Formats: sequence, structure tokens, C-alpha cells
Amino acid sequence: MPVIPALLTVAGGRPSAAELETSLLAGQTLLADSPEHVVEVVDVLCSYGEVLDAYSINLIYQAEHQFLNPFPVFRFLDGDLSPAKIWRHLNHDRINFEYAEYCMKAMLWHGTGGLDAYLDTPAFATDCAAIIRYKTRRDLLLGVLHPLFPNFLPEAIRAAATTHALGQFWRVMSDLFLDLARAEAAGEVASIPAVVEFIKAGLVNAAANPITYSVDLGGERFWVLPPEAGLTFLVDVAVPYVEAVFLRGMPFLGTVSFNAQAQQISPELEQFRYGALYADPLPTMGAGIPPSLLMQDMYRHLPERLHNLYRLRTRGEGDVRVKICSSFQKSMFCVTNAAINGTFPQPLASPDPAAQAANRAYAAAWAQRLAGARTDCLG
Amino acid sequence: MLSLLLLIPFLGAATLLLWPSTPAPGRMRAIAITALALQLVWSLRVLVAFDPSFGGMQLEESVAWVESIGLNYQLGVDGLSLPLVLINAALTLVSAVCTRDISQRPRIYFSLLLVISGAVNGAFLAENLLLFFLFYELELIPLWLLISIWGGADRAYAATKFLIFTAISGVLILGAFLGLALFTGTVDFSLTPIVGERLAMGSQVVLLLALLVGFGIKIPLVPFHTWLPDAHTQASTPVSVLLAGVLLKLGTYGVLRFCLGLFPEAWPLIAPGLAIWAAVSVLYGSLAAIAQRDMKRMVAYSSVGHMGTILLAAAAATPLSLLGAVFQMVSHGLISALLFLLVGIVYRKTGTRDLDVLRGLLNPERGLPFTGSLMILGVMASAGLPGMAGFISEFLVFRGSISAFPLATLLCMVGSGLTAVYFLLLVNRAFFGRLAITPPTADPSADGRLDIRLLGVDLRETLPALGLSLAVVGLGVWPAGLGLLGEATSTALAQLPALVAAAQGGLG
Repeated sequence: MPVIPALLTVAGGRPSAAELETSLLAGQTLLADSPEHVVEVVDVLCSYGEVLDAYSINLIYQAEHQFLNPFPVFRFLDGDLSPAKIWRHLNHDRINFEYAEYCMKAMLWHGTGGLDAYLDTPAFATDCAAIIRYKTRRDLLLGVLHPLFPNFLPEAIRAAATTHALGQFWRVMSDLFLDLARAEAAGEVASIPAVVEFIKAGLVNAAANPITYSVDLGGERFWVLPPEAGLTFLVDVAVPYVEAVFLRGMPFLGTVSFNAQAQQISPELEQFRYGALYADPLPTMGAGIPPSLLMQDMYRHLPERLHNLYRLRTRGEGDVRVKICSSFQKSMFCVTNAAINGTFPQPLASPDPAAQAANRAYAAAWAQRLAGARTDCLG
Repeated sequence: MLSLLLLIPFLGAATLLLWPSTPAPGRMRAIAITALALQLVWSLRVLVAFDPSFGGMQLEESVAWVESIGLNYQLGVDGLSLPLVLINAALTLVSAVCTRDISQRPRIYFSLLLVISGAVNGAFLAENLLLFFLFYELELIPLWLLISIWGGADRAYAATKFLIFTAISGVLILGAFLGLALFTGTVDFSLTPIVGERLAMGSQVVLLLALLVGFGIKIPLVPFHTWLPDAHTQASTPVSVLLAGVLLKLGTYGVLRFCLGLFPEAWPLIAPGLAIWAAVSVLYGSLAAIAQRDMKRMVAYSSVGHMGTILLAAAAATPLSLLGAVFQMVSHGLISALLFLLVGIVYRKTGTRDLDVLRGLLNPERGLPFTGSLMILGVMASAGLPGMAGFISEFLVFRGSISAFPLATLLCMVGSGLTAVYFLLLVNRAFFGRLAITPPTADPSADGRLDIRLLGVDLRETLPALGLSLAVVGLGVWPAGLGLLGEATSTALAQLPALVAAAQGGLG
């Protein structure tokens, strides 16, 4: 049988912005509802929840215990320096915490939302000065570095603050995704609309959770993100996270030079379209493609039900990480869908024309951005 | 001992043809592989019995056949023919192993493979000109059938073109051999060098040129090369492996054995012209390869380029250049066979070899990453990177030729450098970037969203290519073995013109 290339090439649907807007306003889910999609989304979010748990613990550990450490060699070991743990780390029998750092850097770099705004306030500068004063008196290297590069330590503290905030955000998301898996197993969630609703409810419940961060230096507590800053889960961390990681992202290290030479990378950060919703699953496991790290991590925790489903598709075990990436993208559309549903300016059922217009404008703005994303996986 | 190298494949072919009833294709393949494995084992047995320190023919066998026309069954092996006998055994075995899922006339197919292998052995081992010619012609029809029955869509055109070109090649070679008898007035078709007292220089040059064109078609040299890209493009992968790896070597072997070996006195006269011819061939082959869009045609044109360097080595006729020629025959056999195998895998999995279509085949999970890795190794070897077979052979050829023909050698070196250009184009186009197996459309965004579902490559499909890759690296890392095997013969062959000149001077 001759191979016909077109038969091996599958093109998914590409809904227009108008179609996406209609779906959002009608309260329909972006991802088509099917039993297979439910398995994919719930199970991949279950494995993601396990991974986020590890990421969250490590990010919070790094921010609290590796604070301003100029050589954080053991930052991925969560304080466990036993030979067995070090051996497993060197043998790469571990979670790829580098991906968590990549996401933190994306948030810090794009710098949107309340958290980033607070990092540029005089109050934050005052707290920073106190911390730096304390650290430079006791750490010779930092004492030399700070006068030479006065922006270095404040920037390191901003990074630590973003790290801790992301750790707190992922704590909530990890629990939410693992709860979703339990709810699905218990038969409480059985469709994609139910999945989106479950996530939306979880986000709304956690929306007002305070985001705070302090470090303990020599028995003394120093606030970095104090309670009085009034930072909260949804607006100040979740929304910037979605903007930085789901939407904008960064061109992957392995391709940045090539793309830059080809004039394919916009100099405007707002124009960036490299986030999780835009990522191409096909190059997964290629060199310098950070999502490969996340796919590998999720592969370690993949529920057997989804694993069996993957074994029956395309190359079976051979391209399992590409399939995880594709399912992950579907699940991220569900999370985005939940976030959009939860942040409509007015209730969708409102008969008020002004409320409807506001919702329409909100949905149109989202639909415009999502129209260029990898919506081919939604069908 | 040597007769078994003919008997094994011929008996294998006869067994297949006479096998009662209709055995399953798998069984016929197993029979062919068994016969070819036996042939390889026996070739290695010959290698063990071979004395590399002696430059002349060894393990000779001679039986009078049709003495009245000078046709005798005379076989012998030396450092020039033994490496080729070994590579014939190895590559025919590879061809049989990589023939899978053959549904159309498998009995004939495998028989023809065996006949070709036996005939090629016969040609390499023949010590009689007419016997050589018989075997040279004997491989022609089976190969024509292999292309015209199991080839691609335009197989009839390619096969006919191949037949016409190589038939003319045969006519010229036979004409030269018969002309030898006519001009010398004897029917001595042994490998005795022709000297001035037997044949005038003018006649020598005419016969030599006829032989050169005859073998030049087979090698092939520009401008007699046009049959090769068509034949390769239409031939199936195993046949391309055999054609590039073994059958082209009949041409270069013929140049060394019958042109240089028979006419050592006339050789220095035409050598400068041959060196230029070689440079033209190398440069043309390389430049034409750059322009190709079909992966197989690109590899075929690279063969034209690389085989040209053997003519340069023969023209220089120094001990080092001739040893380089032996190396180049072996390394080109291994490398081109490897590249054709890999192109075959790409074609089998993607349905295309078009470099304007294929992209990103190194994709780790959905592409052909191992095939791509071996392809990179193969093109690096072909481009002559140190540590692999191509480097040793080209270095020896260029080092051995530069003092004799500096300009032609430098031009050939440029051609060799162009190998890196066209093969990097191939690798860059087909193996890097986002995976694609269909032509790009006007909407790059849509192209970037296509999900490609190529089937994976089983390890057993890659094993022959892996074996050849190991051989390519092995020869590059440890060339001393082949050097030892070919050195005495190439030194003796290189000394022929000087010896003949000295003898003539002494007589004069």
C-alpha cells in the first residue's frame, strides 16, 4: 500500500473569533463535550495537579529558604540533602522544577497585574531596603555586590516574590485539579461543561485568598508581600499568570534565535503569542522546548486510564508526550474557559442591554485573542 | 575456493527457481538470505586464506573452457578485488534483508538478486577478459528486470535507458577486448599488460579510450551519467543499494584492472586528460546534486561526484592514490548504500522524497529521529568528516594525486567540499524545522497546526542501516585493516607503468 501523505496529515477545525464569541456568550464550552475529552481533561489535570503540588512546594521552599542565596545549587532538593535524594536528582529521577522557574520568569518578565504593580511601589522598595540592609551586613558577597549593582538585589527579591506568589497560586490549583479528579471518580463530574463549572467554582472560591510573603532572617520576620498590600489570588496572581503563561509565554530557547532572525518575534511583549494555548504540541521533546519538561513530569504521574487511551492512539507509547501536550492544551482551554466565565462583567442571563453589551465586548476581546490559539484541538 | 563464491549465489538462485509448489514470500526471502549469508561467510573464509603481503593474484583456479576463442575459466583474487567481493556479499545481503512485504513475484525477485551477486563476484574474480565480459553482461539483464518490474511509476523509461547505456558500455568493452585480439593477432585474453612490442601506441590509445568510455558509462562519468539518476529514482530501495554500492564499482574496477592494468604504457599519455575528466565529473555531479529536489536523485548525483574521485586516483596512479581508490570504492559502497537505505525508509514512511515538501523529520516523537540521526552520520561521512570512512578515502586520493595533478586534485577537493553543501541542504530541509510531509500552502498558520501521524520505524527496519553506519565509522576509525589488504596490490599496480617503461627502455 503506497503511503499517501495527505492521509497522515490531520487538520483540526479553526473556529473564527465570531464563533468563539458566540460560544462564550451562549455559555457553551470551548472544548467539545465528549466522553473521551472528559477522560483526557480530567486525567491530564490529575497528573498536572500532582506535578503542581511538587512545583508549589519547591517554589515556596526556594522563596523562603534559598532567599538571596547567590549559589542555590540545592534549591531543587526541598532541603533534603540525603545521599539517596541527591543520587535520584543526579540520575534525573525527579520532577523538572526548571519548568516552574520558566513560568515564574515568564510572569516576572511580562509583568502584568496587581502583583507586578506592587513590586514597583515605594512600600515594596522600603521593605526591600530593610532586607538588603540586613543581608549585606551579614553576607560579604552581597555586601560587595549591592554597591556595585544596586538594582541586582531588589530584582532578586522581586523574583523571589513572584516565585512565592506562583507557589501559592499553584497550591490552590493543584488541590483544585486533584479535587476535580476525585469528583469525576465519584461521578459528580461527567461532562466538559461540568468540568468547566467545577474549575470556575474553585477559582471563584479562592478568588479573595490573600497572597502574602515574608522571610525569616536570623529569627526576624521581614515582609516582602505584606497583608496590607491587599494582594489577592484571582486578580493579582491568577490573571497575570494566565496572561504570561497561557497567552503570551516566551519563544522557546531552542527556537528563539531562529525566529528572531526570521523577524518572526515581535518586539512588543503585548503581541507575544507563545503561551500554552498557542504552543505547538508536535515538537514536544525537542531540544530547548520547555513544555517538554512539563510533559515528562506529567508522564510520571499519568493515570492508567489515560495512559491506556494513549496506547491505542497513533504510535502508542512512542509519542505519548505529544499526546499529553495535546490533552494538556485541551484542559488549559477548559481552565481559560472557566476563568472567562467567572470574570464576565455582568451575569450572562442579564436582560439589561447595557450588561449584554459589556459582556459582548468582554467576550469579543477574549475571542479575538483565542482565535489565533491552537483551537484546532477543540473539536 | 573462489568458485564457491559463484556457486553459492547461483545455486541459491537455482534452488529458488526450482523450489516445488509456491512457497510463501517469507520463505523465499529466508532462502535468499541464507544463501547470501553463506556467501558472506565464504568471502570471509577467502579473506582469511588471503595473503595481504603479496600483490599479485592468489587462490587462482583455472579450467580450460573454449580455448579456440581464448575463453578460459580463470579466477583469482588480489587486494583490489577482495574488498569488492566482501562488499558485494555484505550489500547483497543487506538488499535481501531490507526487502520486505514483497508480494509481486518474490521467487523471481530473490533469484535475480542472487544471480546479480554471483555475476558480480565472477566479474571481480575473472582473470580472463572474455570471462569478465560474460559476468559483466550477466548482471545487466537481472538488474534491468529488477528496475522494470519492481520499480516506480516511470520504471519502463528508466530501465530502458539503463539497458541502452549499459549495453553500449558492454559493446565498447567487448569491442576493445576483441580489438586487442585483432591487433595483436592472438587470442590471449589473459591479464598480461600490453606493451609496445605487441601493439603500437596508437592502437593502444584507441583501445584504451574505448574501454574508458565503456567503463565510464558504468561508473558513471559525465557526460555518460544520465541513466543513473533515473535508474535510482525508479528502482526500489534494495536495488538502489545494490546499484550504488556494488554495481557501479564494476566500472571503477574495470578502469583499474583493464585500463591501467592492461595498458600501463599508454596510461601516462592520457592520464592528464583523465584527471581533468575526473574533476569535471566531480564538480558536475556535486553541482547537479545541489539543484535536486528529490532526495534519491541528490544521493544519485552525489555518487557521480564521488565516483569521479576514483578516476582521479587512477589517473595519478601513485601507490597512495590507488590505495585511496580502493578505499573510496569501499567507503562509497557503504555510504551510498546507507544513504539509499535511509532515503528508502523516509519514502516508505512519508510517501515522498520531495525536499520542497519534507520538513522536520528529526521530530523526536512523531518524526523519524533515529533514521534522521543515521542520515546525519551518513552525510557527514559522505562529506568526508574525520573519523568516518569518507575522510580516509578522500584524504588518500587527494594526498596521492596532488603531486601528479595539482589543479585537477584541487578542483576535486572543491567538489568534495560541495558535498557538505548539498547534504546540509538535504538535512536542513528534510530533517529540521516543524514536521511536514505535505506541500506548504498559502496559509503558514494552518500549516503550523497540522497534526502529522507518521508511523514509527521498527528497530528491525533500521538494523541494516545501523550495521552500515557501524561499518562506516569502523572503517574511519580503523582503516589499517583495509589498508593492509589493498596496499601490496595498489603498490604493484602503481609500479606497472614505470616497470613497463623501464623494460621498454632496456629492450630499446
